[in-house]
Amino acid sequence: MTSSGVDKALSLVRNLPRISFNNLRDSVGKRKPRERCRGRYGGKTHGCGQKGSEQRQAYMRLGHEGGQTPFYMRFSKEPYYKGWHLQREYLPISLHRIQMLIDTGRLNPEEPIDVTQICNTKLFKLDPRKKQYGFQITDEGADCFDAKINLEVQYAPEHVIAAVEKNGGIITTAFYDVMSLQAAVDPEAFFKRGVPIPKRMLPPHDALVQYSDPKQRGYLADPDKIAEERFILSQKYGYELPELSQDPLKDMLLRRKDPRQVFYGLMPGCFVSLRDKKVFAPKDEELKRFYEIN
Amino acid sequence: MLRRRLINWISQNGRYFTSASKYKSSICLENIYPGSSLNILRSVQKPAGDGTNFTGYVPIEQLKVSYSMASGPGGQNVNKVATKVDVRFHLKNAQWIPEALKEKILEQNPNRITKDGYFVMKSDLTRSQQLNLADALEKIRTVIKAAAFVPAPVTEETLEKIRKRSSA
Repeated sequence: MTSSGVDKALSLVRNLPRISFNNLRDSVGKRKPRERCRGRYGGKTHGCGQKGSEQRQAYMRLGHEGGQTPFYMRFSKEPYYKGWHLQREYLPISLHRIQMLIDTGRLNPEEPIDVTQICNTKLFKLDPRKKQYGFQITDEGADCFDAKINLEVQYAPEHVIAAVEKNGGIITTAFYDVMSLQAAVDPEAFFKRGVPIPKRMLPPHDALVQYSDPKQRGYLADPDKIAEERFILSQKYGYELPELSQDPLKDMLLRRKDPRQVFYGLMPGCFVSLRDKKVFAPKDEELKRFYEIN
Repeated sequence: MLRRRLINWISQNGRYFTSASKYKSSICLENIYPGSSLNILRSVQKPAGDGTNFTGYVPIEQLKVSYSMASGPGGQNVNKVATKVDVRFHLKNAQWIPEALKEKILEQNPNRITKDGYFVMKSDLTRSQQLNLADALEKIRTVIKAAAFVPAPVTEETLEKIRKRSSA
């Protein structure tokens, strides 16, 4: 049997030494030597132009417009701009919309609904690079919401929490840092990158309070205290807390991610190969320590 | 769809799946709250009053809640959506209110009691049925707390001041 090109390639891969810096090289033509300013064409002004501040190397500062009030000084500093680049944005989705997505079969109420599931509907554009840190649920449609779901979002006001829990659902607010969110928002594209699943980082200190608060059903809050808050909310909004201990969907409703997990059922540090349909977990001790795998 | 595919492959690598679902990092809830039951569904004990004080607990199942259309401007929405809330309970038969307070409630809120002895509270504060129900319950609690309010006894110093003021 003649060996095909594929067989040859595979045998190369099997027999060649491991890639390291001493057997890697740039592609031809990618690094060109610097051209010195010598000779008839590189000499005379040596790339500095003719007279003026530029040839004399007395450059004006960046943004200077020769004395005209520069662009960066034309607008007054306002206190409400402070920290704008640090502000987190949560895309709003109403309870009405969630109900419609469930009724039309776009979201499966028998599985936990998190950022990944909402993004998989392809109806929402969440861009972590634009400081969008996830979804928040608004209370529009709370009166006719009647789905029993395990919902994990980034923020939900009290009324929304009451509406979800009244129907026997469980709602959790969880934080995803930018890297984890990029993985969660488009898992297929992320797996194709061949990068290990990141470990989810803790929220920044100003958000840590919110995510540890049982009133906001934070993922870092004590579930014991959350049970108390569930009762208090039921008293406030006038409904009886449904009995879930005998519910057939109890295990699904109680399913929660570890604070370091990005996907249900996948540990951080793992590779998912879509082509081979395999999941590779790290074996190295240092990696296991880093990804907190016991 | 991807999730379904993922579940299928992972269930084929059964050993891996079980270890991933048991993944516990250093900041798992068991490590952050070592003494906690970690049970979000644990039954919470209803606050037990001592027979004279109102704890704030209202048994919702013993209230009669009905909804109707609200009045005022609002077009089609106010005409069709039942956001007005009517909460009723029989005052004498309400076991969650201490007996001593029932007389006071009758005294202080004669306009809220019907001929049949039902205490009525209505609310059409907001556009939402649920928020109106919360408002109605809040108002009921306020009424009962007002009935339970016992002003602090007048102190000796105050009496002395009043006597001095009147004599001067």
